[in-house]
Amino acid sequence: MDAISLIVRSIFVDNMIFAYFLGMCSFLAVSKNVKTAVGLGIAVTFVLVITLPVNYLLENYVLKQGALAWLGEEYATVDLSVFSLLIFIAIIASIVQLVEMIIERFSPSLYASLGIFLPLIAVNCSILGGSLFMQQREFVNVGMATAYGFGSGIGWLLAIVGLAAIREKLEYSHVPKPLKGLGITFIITALMAIGFMSFSGINI
Amino acid sequence: MVLSNKTKAVLLGPLNKNNPIIVQVLGICSALAVTSKLEPSLVMAVAVTLVTAFGNVIISLLRKTIPNRIRIIVQLVVVAALVTIVSEVLKAYVYDVNKQLSVFVGLIVTNCILMGRLEAFALGNGPWPSFLDGIGNGLGYGWILVVVGFFRELLGSGTLLGHQVIPQFMYDAGYVNNGLMMLAPMALILVAVIIWVHRSRNRELYEQTN
Amino acid sequence: MNREKSGYTMIYAAVMVIIVALGLSFTHQALNERQTANVNIDKMQQILRSLNIDATSAEAQQKYNELVKNAYLINSDGVKEEGTEGITPDDPAFTTDPGDENAKGLPVYEANIDGSVKYIIPMQGTGLWGPIWGYLAVEADGSTIYGAEFGHQGETPGLGAEIVMLSFREQFIGKEIIKEGQFRSVAVVKPGQSVSDRDYVDGISGGTITSKGVDAMLRSSIGEYERFLMNLNAAGEGQ
Repeated sequence: MDAISLIVRSIFVDNMIFAYFLGMCSFLAVSKNVKTAVGLGIAVTFVLVITLPVNYLLENYVLKQGALAWLGEEYATVDLSVFSLLIFIAIIASIVQLVEMIIERFSPSLYASLGIFLPLIAVNCSILGGSLFMQQREFVNVGMATAYGFGSGIGWLLAIVGLAAIREKLEYSHVPKPLKGLGITFIITALMAIGFMSFSGINI
Repeated sequence: MVLSNKTKAVLLGPLNKNNPIIVQVLGICSALAVTSKLEPSLVMAVAVTLVTAFGNVIISLLRKTIPNRIRIIVQLVVVAALVTIVSEVLKAYVYDVNKQLSVFVGLIVTNCILMGRLEAFALGNGPWPSFLDGIGNGLGYGWILVVVGFFRELLGSGTLLGHQVIPQFMYDAGYVNNGLMMLAPMALILVAVIIWVHRSRNRELYEQTN
Repeated sequence: MNREKSGYTMIYAAVMVIIVALGLSFTHQALNERQTANVNIDKMQQILRSLNIDATSAEAQQKYNELVKNAYLINSDGVKEEGTEGITPDDPAFTTDPGDENAKGLPVYEANIDGSVKYIIPMQGTGLWGPIWGYLAVEADGSTIYGAEFGHQGETPGLGAEIVMLSFREQFIGKEIIKEGQFRSVAVVKPGQSVSDRDYVDGISGGTITSKGVDAMLRSSIGEYERFLMNLNAAGEGQ
């Protein structure tokens, strides 16, 4: 039940894009048509669901102050959190690489559709952002962390597909010349974000 | 100061025609969520400028030794180490601002400007031009952040850097702070306005499609 | 030297990792003292804010030393533990976190404002996204709230995060946590609603779960001090 409520909240209330603007670079660059947007969205969700539990375990059993207590008494005060950024990004980069190789090997068709996006994802802010928020929010167990990753990914997918759909229609609109392209996309994103704010009162 | 034309272009290009945010569309991610006040925007701008400049120098010095296969990882490690140092320094010297920036300091690592500059510039140029390129791009990113932070704090809270700017008699006369400015989406609208102004002055930047 | 050989790549990676690790550890060690000092000053600022004093980080230490006269741990009967007194960051009251199960007692701070004593109680709870905490300053009668301060780690900006705002905090001033000789806490309710058996304040609209978290935190954290507060209350009525 807690997990479901967490997923709903991270999709609608604390949406990665609309509440924190994470992953904007690829969000703006790859939202010109719905099909590629869906591909990138799925890839982001996929990577979030894998990296968050891994980083959660590392955070709680290696990095955090006192996390090494399972090694013995004398390690109980060790605090490695100064390395957390380094470890998180290294884990993300290697998992992305790994996922890319696995997909390429076992499902060439999936690779053809997702493959091009995977290298983009290592530096997608929403992935590292997910791990950093996980660290800050101190989820109670690895399941909750995974649920948060899933919800955030779906929220991101929803946002990019929505924007792509609007941009496809926008082809036929008369936008003031200096605003064409980037400018109007920013404004649309902002309006979508204001729309999403109406979810903020929901309580499950 | 004597700078050749080429160096000048490297340093000043990103401030205007080649601006990372409003022309190259890079590095918006971590930027906008911190601009609700001017102070964190300034700190963020300085932090990103420093990390970009020194990241560029380090990668440029190492460029002849880095094995191609682990190029990206090496870059990420260098950047992550620099960001960790910046974050430790912030915690030690400007604790309050560090609290406001929270996770967004860490997110400098995935700021696309950084990786973009390392890949596109530092790997092919010497340390000095790379340093200038880093400073230029950092500042090009920074001024947008500062402008957005300036307007959001001025219109949203009536203050600048925490000091009251809108005089009290204005409030007595019925002036109200625009609470909408404190909400995240307004940052996007402000950037869109900057793009609008910038592009109407630089017609060659018009995009053909939406 | 061939840059693409596996051996070279591996040595390169290993050397890089060692250099980075050493560099980071060194920075961390060098700055650790200042960081801890900052954390302590931040805690003092929070304690001062619960006394309705907004101190800058530069003046916090001095004001804290000036106003906070004593700090100590109390046991579960609400009685001061001997040998735990002291207000500096190294003393037990300052280093004990509320909610720590292994703690030797519950921390209480005593402040002196214009000649009257206020008791400050630290609180700890959970909001929507993570930990929330606060400090509640209570008058010498053990019931009337003199001031409140709240903090959070990652509540939603503009919604749950509003608990740190003065407009929310100042609602607590003057509320009674003991009614008819019984500990009741203060309720945080949805704006517009009310409760009859105890004092209440308006929660944050749109920040329902954070508001509920504050409500629960008040009940549980202050509840642990029930005996202590009742003792104060009884002593006041006896006079």
